[in-house]
Amino acid sequence: MKIMIVDDEQDVEILFVQKFRKEIKSKQLEVEFAFSGEEALEKLGSPESPNVVYVFSDINMPGMSGLELLENIKTRFPKIEVSMISAYGDKDNYNKAIKSGAKGFFTKPVDFDSLKKEIKEILNKN
Amino acid sequence: MILINLISLFLLYYLKKSRGNAAFSDQLKKLINYGMIGAGVLIVIGIAQLPPVLLFDLISFLLVGGIIFMILNFPELESQKNLAVTPLPILVVRLVSFLLETIFPTTYEYLENYIAAAGFFALIWAVTMWLNHRKEMKALEIERIISKEKERQLFLAQEKKQELERMVQERTSEILNQKNELQEALDHLRSTQEQLVQQEKLASLGQLTAGIAHEIKNPLNFINNFSELSEDFLIEMEEELDKTPDSAEKSLIQELLVDVKSNLKKIRHHGMRADSIVKSMLMHSRGEKGEVKETDLNELIREYSNLAFHGMRANKNPINVDVQLELDEKITAVKINAEDFSRVILNLAKNAFDAMRDKINMANSEYKAKLVIRTKDLKNSLLIEVEDNGPGVPEEIREKLLMPFFTTKKGTEGTGLGLSITHDIVKSHGGKLEIESEVNQFTRFKILLPKSSI
Repeated sequence: MKIMIVDDEQDVEILFVQKFRKEIKSKQLEVEFAFSGEEALEKLGSPESPNVVYVFSDINMPGMSGLELLENIKTRFPKIEVSMISAYGDKDNYNKAIKSGAKGFFTKPVDFDSLKKEIKEILNKN
Repeated sequence: MILINLISLFLLYYLKKSRGNAAFSDQLKKLINYGMIGAGVLIVIGIAQLPPVLLFDLISFLLVGGIIFMILNFPELESQKNLAVTPLPILVVRLVSFLLETIFPTTYEYLENYIAAAGFFALIWAVTMWLNHRKEMKALEIERIISKEKERQLFLAQEKKQELERMVQERTSEILNQKNELQEALDHLRSTQEQLVQQEKLASLGQLTAGIAHEIKNPLNFINNFSELSEDFLIEMEEELDKTPDSAEKSLIQELLVDVKSNLKKIRHHGMRADSIVKSMLMHSRGEKGEVKETDLNELIREYSNLAFHGMRANKNPINVDVQLELDEKITAVKINAEDFSRVILNLAKNAFDAMRDKINMANSEYKAKLVIRTKDLKNSLLIEVEDNGPGVPEEIREKLLMPFFTTKKGTEGTGLGLSITHDIVKSHGGKLEIESEVNQFTRFKILLPKSSI
């Protein structure tokens, strides 16, 4: 199963790769990275489609914001689940995200236990 | 002789009726009246031809002479002097003819025609003089009327001037009042403007704070996440290490692993602490309302009194303060708006620090600033006290303390909003804010939160 992480901070990639080292090693999980909303859409729409089933996106990014990305994904790829990861756990962003069809909402610093649980759930579904 | 007496009567009558008789002295009026009576009596005697005719004739001459003398000598009759001259020729002719007739009757007979002619001329003279006098009197009269009119106008002008002066004075005081009012309004406006500038500065400072907080939060997230991750890896390493055969190196490595793990825990702990501070900074700077939820009141007081103290220390004019917390540990979770309540603690602590700084600047060196924050679980309510041993609040301004924009701080140092916001927050929790103070001893802010509303 493939998930995609969208964040303008490049270190997020290392963080996730390390965090899900075991799952990635055992090929249970494939992680794709995009460092902007635009890049994410491009990758999701490419012909060698990466079969992403779940996107975790930051909200505050230069260019396309996470919330815009969420809407774009929901209209173009309605099957893909999207959760937001934000530095701010404020109600405004939370409400907007859930209204636009986000599955979950995580605040930074990411509580990896809950994130892992979420990903495990999807893995089990598949 | 009747003519002489008629002239006397006429002169006196004319004087009596003349204009300006109001200014005559009583003596003059008496003289005129007696003169008229005398002339009247003499006329009657003359008609009756009562003897001795000669005596009465003499008296008649004396009377008219007296009248002329009177006209010439009384200052009130200055303007009537011409009148005295008018009958003079007639009188002279009469006197001469009388004397001649009496003393030298022969000469009189001889000169009778001449005397008659002189009498005629004297009459013409008298009439001319009389007309002349009338004309003069009229001119005088007109002059008098003009001067009176002028006087009246002068009086009116004076009155008008006084009225104008009064109005000017009224307007002046009105304008002065308005000026004072305007000055007051201007002062008020100036201080409001200063406060606005100050608020604007604070707002931009808030934005800056938000920016800094945001910039710090991202690296902080990595610190927290990577330390957590590294801890996980160390646990895995330990697990893998356990599978290897025991050796001295292995136990050394294991010891080091425990230390590194505990270090990472510390990094994470302090990272999370920094994160919560940054989070509240962000919420403050955005002016977020926060929400009512179960909060550890004592913990909140610990955190924010600490923050207030260090904030004061990091700002200009830091002072040494002994901050004591006397917290009732029976108090656990309280339903309050933690965001708002943290502001209450910050505001009250900041006020106390400012007040004590003033006292330090004034008092002798023995004064030691002390801030005590207490919580107490009363039966039906919770009590929070913030007490400083600063200069105290004089009774006359104690009531104004909670009014918006009331400040004792000079210039732009205070907005006068701190306590009023604090009061509003306490009220919105259904609580009461009370002030107890003794000048030069202490100031104590008491917050009572009824348990029914928290």
